[in-house]
Amino acid sequence: MPSATLLGQSLLSGVFIGALYGLLGLGLSLSWGYLRLINLAHFALAFLAAYLTYQLVDVGDWHPVAALAAIVPAFFVLGVAMQVFVHRFAIGEFASLLVTFGVTVIIESLIQWIWTADFRRLQLDHGALSWRLGPLFIPIVEAAMLLVTLALTCGTWAMLRFTYIGKAMRASAEDPDMAAAFGVDHRRLALLLSGLAAAFAGVAGAFIALIYTLFPAQIFTWVGVIFAVVILGGLGNPLGALIAGLVVGVSESLTMALTEPAWAPLVSFSLLIFVLVLRPDRI
Amino acid sequence: MLDARALDVAYGDAPALWGVSLTIAAGELVAVVGPNGAGKTTLVNAIARLMPIRSGSLRLAGEDITSIGAKDLCRRGVAIIPEGRRLFTGMTVEENLELGCYRGKARQSRAQNLERVYGMFPVLRQRRRQTAGTLSGGQQQMVAIGRAIMACPQLLLIDEPSLGLAPAIVDQVFTVIRDIHASGVAILLIEQNVAQALAIANRAYVLEGGRIVSHGAPADLLRQKHVREAYLGEDAETSSL
Amino acid sequence: MHRPVKAAAFALVILALAAVPALRPPAFYESFLFLVYLWVALATSWAILSGFSGYFSFGHGAFYGAGVYTTATLASRFDVPVAWTWLAAGVAAAILGLVVGAVVFRVRRLRGELFALLTLAVTFVVATVVLNTRIDGGPGVFLAGVDAPRIYGSASGSLYVFALAIAAATLAVAWLVQYSRLGRGLFAISDDEDVAETMGVPTYRFKLAALGVSCFLAGVAGGIHAVFVGYVTVAETFSLTVPLFVVLMSVLGGARHWLGPCLGAAFIVALNYAFVGGDWAVVGRAIIGATLILVILFLPHGLVGTAVSAWRRAHPAKAAPAAGTASMPAPARSEAARQPVMLRCENVHLSFRGVRALAGVTMEVQGGEILGLVGPNGSGKSTLVNVISGYYRPQAGRVLLGDDDLLTKGGHRIASLGVARTYQIPRPFSRLTVAENVALAAMFGAARLDRISAWHESGRWLAFVGLAERHAALPSQLNLHQRKFLELARALAARPRLILLDEVLSGLTPSETAHALELIRSIRAGGATIVFIEHNMRAVLEISDRLVVLNHGEVIAEGEPRAVIREPEVVTAYLGSAHA
Repeated sequence: MPSATLLGQSLLSGVFIGALYGLLGLGLSLSWGYLRLINLAHFALAFLAAYLTYQLVDVGDWHPVAALAAIVPAFFVLGVAMQVFVHRFAIGEFASLLVTFGVTVIIESLIQWIWTADFRRLQLDHGALSWRLGPLFIPIVEAAMLLVTLALTCGTWAMLRFTYIGKAMRASAEDPDMAAAFGVDHRRLALLLSGLAAAFAGVAGAFIALIYTLFPAQIFTWVGVIFAVVILGGLGNPLGALIAGLVVGVSESLTMALTEPAWAPLVSFSLLIFVLVLRPDRI
Repeated sequence: MLDARALDVAYGDAPALWGVSLTIAAGELVAVVGPNGAGKTTLVNAIARLMPIRSGSLRLAGEDITSIGAKDLCRRGVAIIPEGRRLFTGMTVEENLELGCYRGKARQSRAQNLERVYGMFPVLRQRRRQTAGTLSGGQQQMVAIGRAIMACPQLLLIDEPSLGLAPAIVDQVFTVIRDIHASGVAILLIEQNVAQALAIANRAYVLEGGRIVSHGAPADLLRQKHVREAYLGEDAETSSL
Repeated sequence: MHRPVKAAAFALVILALAAVPALRPPAFYESFLFLVYLWVALATSWAILSGFSGYFSFGHGAFYGAGVYTTATLASRFDVPVAWTWLAAGVAAAILGLVVGAVVFRVRRLRGELFALLTLAVTFVVATVVLNTRIDGGPGVFLAGVDAPRIYGSASGSLYVFALAIAAATLAVAWLVQYSRLGRGLFAISDDEDVAETMGVPTYRFKLAALGVSCFLAGVAGGIHAVFVGYVTVAETFSLTVPLFVVLMSVLGGARHWLGPCLGAAFIVALNYAFVGGDWAVVGRAIIGATLILVILFLPHGLVGTAVSAWRRAHPAKAAPAAGTASMPAPARSEAARQPVMLRCENVHLSFRGVRALAGVTMEVQGGEILGLVGPNGSGKSTLVNVISGYYRPQAGRVLLGDDDLLTKGGHRIASLGVARTYQIPRPFSRLTVAENVALAAMFGAARLDRISAWHESGRWLAFVGLAERHAALPSQLNLHQRKFLELARALAARPRLILLDEVLSGLTPSETAHALELIRSIRAGGATIVFIEHNMRAVLEISDRLVVLNHGEVIAEGEPRAVIREPEVVTAYLGSAHA
């Protein structure tokens, strides 16, 4: 049995990785739930943002926050452009999976072309910084990511819940014709949503660059687990994605602490399979 | 107010309406009756711009609206209570109502209209935080009516409001429709419950097999054999089919 | 070309390719062709389930990987002869597939995306288990000293032949399946699974069978590949490469044809090889990605699919089924006039989320009669048809066809007992021709004919409804009237005892209606019993022997048609009462 400190520390790291799952899942959940697009390219966008952050911070010597401020609007525009493309070719739910896989492969190649397949790691002075809380260490960057994830998730939830635009998005996802009959312009809302989802990928990417070592094939590392998180949380449900992310993250770290580290993936996928088989109507 | 001329509407290559002409004056309640499959819902959907019109013209207050989209019709003061209610079932009662005033000026009178709807249907005020999909059929119909009222329409399209409802609820629904009409809103009422529809209508059309076969004052129509024939098929020519 | 000729040509090509190692080509060519064969086997085996039935699996890597590790474990640790490990690899993969399928296919209304994700999740689970148990344990497995049985002098030449053999076998199986009963059923499932089940296709068993065959072949291919690489790791084996490549290859070539995935595989492997080395490999991957996007957007049926439909358009007059006579064919079962009771519904209750659709329906259909089933919108007529044909399962009640309780039987069993139906809005299998649609019903309904007889049978029924000319058309090329008659031909070809006609007349012009009524009369004359659901009351009165009126899910009247519609309760149900 591991010590209480070790358990506490692994609980904490579970919360942080869970926050990353939630952050990556947020955009995916929005586009799947409201636009009926299974956007595999979301992961590629996140890593494109991660490499851009690396470039700006490490080579261009920008402050990480400045890099974030540049990437987010740029990715919003990119997301809008993607939705224009999807609309132009009337891409359906299943086709979207294959098309965005094609996009993912292209982006992966682009990353490999520019940054090569070598490992890249940001050398940050404050990257290694952490607070001490009793026996536990709290890394600052991860803590910042948790806060940003909380803010974005709650913000998105509140937008969907309390604003006219958010309500119109939900109505449009349920019955586009009826929503249109009450004046909802589905196309413009879709552009906004797609832009938001891509911007979230940008935010996630910036944090990935600050926390992890980058290499192109890493794009596919989290695809499975994030799909599990999105489905467990309920499509289009921001809070659900975050909660599912935290549950999966924590249970993975505890599995790692209590058994072999490599058993961790079993947790999320077993959960996913159970939910899909027992409650297929949830999505 | 609404002037439809010689509308042809089809589902793909299957014609559903042939040369349907119909007018509604401001503040008038016009009923369209006819048996199942006559094309009544198609007519409403075409007017609500949810279905393309193949030929003919549709004018609203003098303006051609034959080929505009549904979202632009709403701004011009037309609201719909669709067949089967079609609520946003995952959203709460109040959110459904708020969707009604999504567009334009209606948003400013949100609070006032909300009060009006809750005044009409007090049960909805109690259930305002409840998900619309969990309501009974009658309450769902109330929400659908409320949602349309929230849009401050000058013309209201009502499609089969009595469908699947118990008789007592049907009476209540018709009372509300009469009240809305009394407040000056023009109404196109599609209904298979002929007797009740004709009892509150100013004028009525009989639709059968995608064509208008008769129209006039409700009292006259009731007396005509057309209506009975259309519904129950009782006529002398049966053998000629 | 006739089938034997085609088969001989196929065998010749395979033999010629098998002779390649004898020419002692440079090792590069041998391994290139080996990879082509491997991917042909993987992609084609994937298509047997996923391409034909439309259930896209993203879990092919799990089944391939099960094969890889079965061979690796048995050969390196237990010294089992390699050829036997390949058989075991296929069996292990098939068992894994059948277990997954037995669970997953029971999920009602399983959507395509869910199936894709579930199978993907299975891949990760299998990978985790392999990684953490003694099967692998982490470092990977060396197949030291493991060699394929020698056919040529060189080990690589021998493996080449085995890879060719599995590719050829997979293609042959795919070919056989495509033109078999199983294949017809899978294509129907892909277009409209509910209709397929109602027409008698045992959808669950067919999907499971296709998955089993597909997994077996993938497992064997995995076993052969394990020997080829000599060192297997979890990361390589269960990576996303396998599922993504097989999907890409099949979609590119055309997943609904046995030859499609084969072309796609050859193309992609060649493309990969064309860009080997350094930066060019990156360009190659980008081109593969771009190809996928372009194919999905512009050639959604793939290369072979597009070619086949172009060829069909150019040669429309391909072998028509024998037209037969335009008169009513002999009765399905010579039933003497009226029998007492053919179908009996007893106290059938059905609610959806608290809304009562059927509130205790009790009614009988007598043998040989035309029963008119009428009622206002939403009164439960179509729901009742869906109950009888097995689509809905009521909460209470019984539905007896003779002595059989239909509620205990699946939709396809009900069809084989002799119940057929039409749909209010026609639901033809959209990617099968008119004649294929009808032949399918003859293969799976009560008639249960073989493929050839079913094909001829389809000609008779198409002639009967007046669609013989259009036999080679796709349903989308028909107008509504023709599609309605196609529904009718399909129901009749099943040789049913009981036909449920759900609003066959709606949307027809008066003269088309008259034609349809004539047909219905002659169907009855042929001995079948008909339940006729219709809004057009004139037609109902004209043709029905008896009338049952539903309102709010209850039978409110039944009996002689003209008497029934005069009953006050019926008049009220239709016209309403002015009590407001």
